[in-house]
Amino acid sequence: MRALNNQAFTQISTQLNSKLRDSLLLPQVVTATLELIMNKALALNHNKAISFAELKQKTLTLELAELSFPLSFTVNTSDSSAVVIVRSQTDSSDCTIKTSIKALKKLKAKQSLTQLIKQDELDVSGDIKIAQQFTHITQSLAIDWQSELARHLGDVPTHKLLQFSDKISKSISATAKQIETDISEYLVHEKRLLVTISEVTVFNRQAKELANEVNVISARIDQIFADLAEK
Amino acid sequence: MSSSDKNPQASDLPTNQQTPTDGDTSADNSAESKGTTHFGYKTIEKDDKISMVAGVFHSVAKQYDVMNDLMSFGIHRLWKRFTIDASGVRPGNTVLDLAGGTGDLTAKFSQLVGREGKVILADINSSMLNVGRDKLRDKGLVQNIEYVQANAEYLPFEENTFDIVTIAFGLRNVTDKDKALRSIYSVLKPGGRLLILEFSKPEHELLNKAYDFYSFNILPKIGELVAKDGASYQYLAESIRMHPDQETLKSMMDNAGFEQTSFKNLTGGVVALHKGYKF
Repeated sequence: MRALNNQAFTQISTQLNSKLRDSLLLPQVVTATLELIMNKALALNHNKAISFAELKQKTLTLELAELSFPLSFTVNTSDSSAVVIVRSQTDSSDCTIKTSIKALKKLKAKQSLTQLIKQDELDVSGDIKIAQQFTHITQSLAIDWQSELARHLGDVPTHKLLQFSDKISKSISATAKQIETDISEYLVHEKRLLVTISEVTVFNRQAKELANEVNVISARIDQIFADLAEK
Repeated sequence: MSSSDKNPQASDLPTNQQTPTDGDTSADNSAESKGTTHFGYKTIEKDDKISMVAGVFHSVAKQYDVMNDLMSFGIHRLWKRFTIDASGVRPGNTVLDLAGGTGDLTAKFSQLVGREGKVILADINSSMLNVGRDKLRDKGLVQNIEYVQANAEYLPFEENTFDIVTIAFGLRNVTDKDKALRSIYSVLKPGGRLLILEFSKPEHELLNKAYDFYSFNILPKIGELVAKDGASYQYLAESIRMHPDQETLKSMMDNAGFEQTSFKNLTGGVVALHKGYKF
């Protein structure tokens, strides 16, 4: 009965999620944003050695554990440029990757695709060459952010802004490092000294038992004094 | 097939007319039998409607995209994205973007079908078609797009031509929707699908009331301010109310021969995407 209730609850919750997702168009908001960012990055790329020829009209689908909908990337090339169209569907994929954002970050850190597959962090079906090409392109993008900013802000403000952001980033990373050290210190040393909930419970129980025993003894003493007074 | 490159006049061709339905197809039929039809909430002679609907779209064509963004707060782009996602389009497909207007769906389809595929942007209104053609050419999309001025009720294509037919925010302006659905069914290949993106009936009463207030009080004012044409946007609001609701449109698709018909409400039912297959 409980299993049936759980099943019904899961079913209703899935239906509600799907209805809410369609109503709010969340996948479309995500794909539109990604498409904008990716195509802007491609437009700003200075590495002319990148070739999209092998990815022409090919579709890579990403099924991320953190997202309830797939993301598919299709490359459309013309004589002079390439654009990526991002959709939320799985109908016409040449290669599908099931993974998580954590594993993707490792891929960005130049850990090889095959290594992640061996570690069961990536599940690839379809043409693996397409996944390799996409990975290669994302790793080869060269964007000169300084020049791009300078075009809009001017040289001096850009220099100052980058100096400031460098300082902020150093400060953030130092703070993060300090927090990490503090947490490790706490976990390794201080946490051991802390009293756990079960220890507090046992202590409370023992204190209660002791209090009861004291009450009993106190009652007996009172009784003895009363008996003595009568004699 | 008449290409808009020849720039034919809208009046040379059969023109779409609005028919009242209000979720009831019998209303549609009764209006037709009397030789009258509806233009928004007004009942008019069918012949007058031809020039009146054409007038609306000739008038708004140039401001159409700006107005769409303003009126829907840009959400129309997400509704169209949803349609593309639901279409299952593949490289090499042949797609008909019916009542395609300024070509938002055509632009995406063109990139997805590639050079082996083809997209036909069809619209009954020459002004809309011209704006769409200019916009797509400015985007560099020229390889696989054809432009056709056509009436949805009499599609000038051979049977079993298209893998996908879409009609976004166009069906409510078609006079005989049943005839248009049958015409679309005929030009679809077996296995092909029709996607209808159209304003519909909001699911919740509160949303319905807010939507009504927005449509009849704010929308025409935005139209007056931006497109200098409040009347056209008053017509837009009225024509949305006269369009069949979700279930009625689904049964109309069933009657036209489509199978596995379904619909999804978007933004609380303000818009619905209907989908049906030809097998």
